[in-house]
Amino acid sequence: MDRKTKIEMLRGMLVIRHLENKWGEAYQRREIDGIPPSLGTGQEAVSMGACMALKPGDFVFTTHRGVGPQVAMGMDPDRIMADLCYKATGYNKGKSYHVTSIEHGVVGMGGIVGGQIPVAVGLALAFKLRGPKQVVMPFFGEGASNEGAFHEAANLAAIWKLPVIFLCENNMYAISLRFEEFIAVRSVAIRAKAYGMPGVHVDGNDVLSVYRVVNKAAERARRGLGPSLVEAKTYRLAGHLLDDPGYYRPKEEVEEQWDKCPILRFKTQLESEGILGKGDMERLEHEVKEIAEKAADFARKSPYPEAKEAFTNIFA
Amino acid sequence: MFPRRLFEHGAKIPPEQKKLPGYRGAINAALMEEMERDSHIIVMGQDVGKAPPFGVTLGLLDKFGPERVLDTPISEIAMVGAAVGAAIGGMRAVVEMQFGDFLSCAIDQVVHEAAMIRYLTGGQVKVPMVIRLPCGAGQGTGSHHAQSMYSWFVHSPGLRVVVPSTAADAKSLMKTALRQDNPVLFFEEKILYRTRWEVPPEYYNTDFTIPFGKADVKRQGRDVTVVATLAMVHYAIEAARRLEKEGTSVEIIDPRTLAPLDRETILASVRKTGRLVVVDEAYLSCGIQGEIIASVTEKAFHHLKAPPARLGNPGVPVPFAPTLEEAVIPNIDKIELAIRGTLTN
Repeated sequence: MDRKTKIEMLRGMLVIRHLENKWGEAYQRREIDGIPPSLGTGQEAVSMGACMALKPGDFVFTTHRGVGPQVAMGMDPDRIMADLCYKATGYNKGKSYHVTSIEHGVVGMGGIVGGQIPVAVGLALAFKLRGPKQVVMPFFGEGASNEGAFHEAANLAAIWKLPVIFLCENNMYAISLRFEEFIAVRSVAIRAKAYGMPGVHVDGNDVLSVYRVVNKAAERARRGLGPSLVEAKTYRLAGHLLDDPGYYRPKEEVEEQWDKCPILRFKTQLESEGILGKGDMERLEHEVKEIAEKAADFARKSPYPEAKEAFTNIFA
Repeated sequence: MFPRRLFEHGAKIPPEQKKLPGYRGAINAALMEEMERDSHIIVMGQDVGKAPPFGVTLGLLDKFGPERVLDTPISEIAMVGAAVGAAIGGMRAVVEMQFGDFLSCAIDQVVHEAAMIRYLTGGQVKVPMVIRLPCGAGQGTGSHHAQSMYSWFVHSPGLRVVVPSTAADAKSLMKTALRQDNPVLFFEEKILYRTRWEVPPEYYNTDFTIPFGKADVKRQGRDVTVVATLAMVHYAIEAARRLEKEGTSVEIIDPRTLAPLDRETILASVRKTGRLVVVDEAYLSCGIQGEIIASVTEKAFHHLKAPPARLGNPGVPVPFAPTLEEAVIPNIDKIELAIRGTLTN
């Protein structure tokens, strides 16, 4: 991979981190209410590595921690933030915060855990029937891998050899429960065996490893060999939601995990490879902070949708 | 055998009816013609290809091949979800639930994905798809194979709900379903599958469709309006014939689609007759019967000469034994009694 792409990856991860922080600030300032923001702090490498391995025309389905893939697929930070802040200028025009852009190949976080995995499989069926070699990558958590929807969808994709990459973002916690408390096998990837598809583990905090594994799964899917399950092991540094007091895990555990922050790690790696020089990181961070600030500003200044908007788009 | 109601299970088709189109054949013809016309239509479901249990998809696999007629595993969630995804990808799936009751397994996919994804994405996607749902009691199929669950889905925004009562309606409404771009739940009354029907000449026109939201006045009358769906339409017609002998004139309306519901036609009828009976197999509590009566009392209260009556399943799991099933589901006698009740009030 060339230097430019690596820098692009680091930059993308930074945009995700800072944009999400702005989302959190908007909530803390009470510019938005409702369900507190679900930040993916610490999971940026999964989104960036996985989405960089896709091609134009491919699709992702996000989870409720979806800003990562939205940014990584090239969506406009301004409009993402507008959607998250109920504004008319968002992609969904205030109808939902399931931030979606068909143009960018992103179908946004459904509110039902695991509920869109079968829909992703159906899109892959359409791609297979219609001929183009596009792949579909539904993101889901390790918690969602207990949902019936995941298992039915995995089986269907496997028997029909559909171009799907089941991307399990294992951040160790389903709200308050730790992995071992709700899954009796060692990993989610093992579950692939039950459906006759490859199940691959990858260090989800290593953006390049994620990229390589997903790239391989995508090639396999494009060759008509069927779906894969990729389990990217990471850690949710943020709370489940913004106001999460985190009683269910020791503070020391979270602090330790901050040392494994994927952004820090990739930055260090690029410095040792000589790709990042003195002052480069500061410049990058400055640039990205401006992007996030501009997006927050755009959202703040955008109008709310007019009441009549509520009654449109129910039927085609 | 216990004497069944109007449509006796296993009854011989009278020779004079043999040449007429059947309810089952009508749906089959609609699928054949539309799949011929539109190569984006696919059919999915358990056994729909090699061994269709009710025979509705018979011959489709031979004609269109395994790429367009897909036998699925027993996975209702995956089937319905896949239809939604296929729609986003430009296809148009017809999903068969072997029994309509099984849609309960996939209710999240129906009410949250199929019905809402267009709205939630600000209109970025369309979801053209049809779910076929064999429904209804009367064959001793038991509680999990005999319900009429359309009220559940009329309650949810974003869905079209179709309830055809004759071969001609079944064919034309299925064609409409396959030529519009919203998710459709297409309920097929199981005891009607074997019935044969006189059809209008348009039946044979491959481009004839019936718009959603247009009720059919099955019978003109002066004294009472009966709104009925599916098999109950025919039971109501029988009840009306009995009452006609005593000089009572009953108007019968078949809404044909419950979402959208043709309230105007029902209101116009009640404004004329002043009396209303709604009969349907659905559970009464929060059922479609109550919705129809509420619509009438809101808009035509002062035209009513008697309190409206509703017939339906009073809230009992559809029982297995025919004597019990009969006790729970409306029939000709019960409809007749209900009509008389509104007349004496």
